[in-house]
Amino acid sequence: MKYKPDDATLISYLYGELDAKETEKVLGYLNQNPEEFKNLQQLMDVRSVLKHVEDKEVIAPPVFMDQGGHASRFWQANYFKTIMSIAASFLLLMVAARLIGPEISYSKGELRISFNGAVPVEQKQILPATTSLTPNEVQEMINTSLVKNNELISTEWESNNKKLQASLRTNLTSNSAKIDDLMKVASQASQDQVRSFVAGLQEDNLRLMKDYLQLSAKDQKVYVENLLVDFSKYLQEQRKQDLMLFQTRMSSIEKNTDQFKQETEQILASIISSPEGTIKKVNNY
Amino acid sequence: MPAETLPDIAMMHSDALIARAREGDKNAQGKLVQLWYKRIYNFAYKFFFDHDLAMEAAQKTFISMHRNIEGLQEVPRFRSWLYTIAVNYCREEVRKKKASRSVSLHDLRPGENEESYRWEASSNRGENPEKQLRQTELSDLLQQCLMELSDEQREVVIMKEYEGLKFREIADALQISENTVKSRMYYGLDGLKRILESKNITKETIGYEV
Repeated sequence: MKYKPDDATLISYLYGELDAKETEKVLGYLNQNPEEFKNLQQLMDVRSVLKHVEDKEVIAPPVFMDQGGHASRFWQANYFKTIMSIAASFLLLMVAARLIGPEISYSKGELRISFNGAVPVEQKQILPATTSLTPNEVQEMINTSLVKNNELISTEWESNNKKLQASLRTNLTSNSAKIDDLMKVASQASQDQVRSFVAGLQEDNLRLMKDYLQLSAKDQKVYVENLLVDFSKYLQEQRKQDLMLFQTRMSSIEKNTDQFKQETEQILASIISSPEGTIKKVNNY
Repeated sequence: MPAETLPDIAMMHSDALIARAREGDKNAQGKLVQLWYKRIYNFAYKFFFDHDLAMEAAQKTFISMHRNIEGLQEVPRFRSWLYTIAVNYCREEVRKKKASRSVSLHDLRPGENEESYRWEASSNRGENPEKQLRQTELSDLLQQCLMELSDEQREVVIMKEYEGLKFREIADALQISENTVKSRMYYGLDGLKRILESKNITKETIGYEV
């Protein structure tokens, strides 16, 4: 059977931690498998490269050792401290209880807690009512009290009435004074308002008149200008028409003149051609 | 792994110190912090690539160590136990970061504001400054490649490559099987190979640069 070492054996061989027999077997295997040998050689190279990582210099911190024995550690143990603290708390409670002297008692459904000794409860005794007064005396007492009450009420009413009247008078005088002041203020205010209103109206009217005049002056100017232009246009048109009329008249006169001239020529020609007949005709005319 | 220094050797042979610390010796606990603080900080730094988060995780780890070391069952398991605490706090910080969804200004260009600090704190101060700067840049670049791995692969790779834990110890720290650890390691290295190829980082180019 062919021998093939596993990774663990190869790594042990690499670090020289195999026994002689195993080492010989691995060497034989590596001689027969150059690839594996090369791989192992590369791992050796990695190891040699890793050797270049330096150690860091460091100074160990000072050590302060507690030289105390086990006894001192017993006192410092957490469980001991806990038990001692609970015991101290109980002791404190007991001392406090002893000093203030509490007493707890239960009787007839009543739980009683007291400090510094029990104090006896004071029993209040209800005395019986006296029956020495007669109905007449009671009636007299009621009557006198009623009379006193009425007197008191009447005196209070009078004093209140006086106070009310006095306050009404003072209120009336103060109110009338206030109303007079208000009226004065109102009248003054109205006169001022009327004046300001009239002044405002005058200003408005003035402004309106100015605007109107300005506007009317502009309009009139425009109107007159337009009128003049229109009139000049009219005159030109009239002149044209007159000229045309004159021209037609002239042409008609010219025509008539020519016609007359021709007729005259014809008459003259006829006269020349037949003087006798012409004379007769002329005579006939 | 970097060359072993005196504190590293002391760290490896600190069984007696761990035993004393487990018995409640506070001075021994303080010395353990002094010895392991750098390793745990660097583990967290490589995991987050962030100084503040690494400091936070390292401090929480050692506070937890101080509180719980008396419950440590076996002294030889101290290392994996300590890394278990550190990994748990790292995962807790990652969960918090994802839940808050906030990005600090430092995260936008990680490590930038620590330029001066790194320069002054460098152990190679006597070397050529230009070479040292290149080395720092390369270190950051490789750190960025590491950040591209998944959290599970990254924690295994860091524990193995930089913290020098055995596979058994990593399995113990992460509370998973050894085979799972090896599988994550294999796929982590394979992933890194591809990431480095994509960035054109090889053994040869690094040799030329540095």
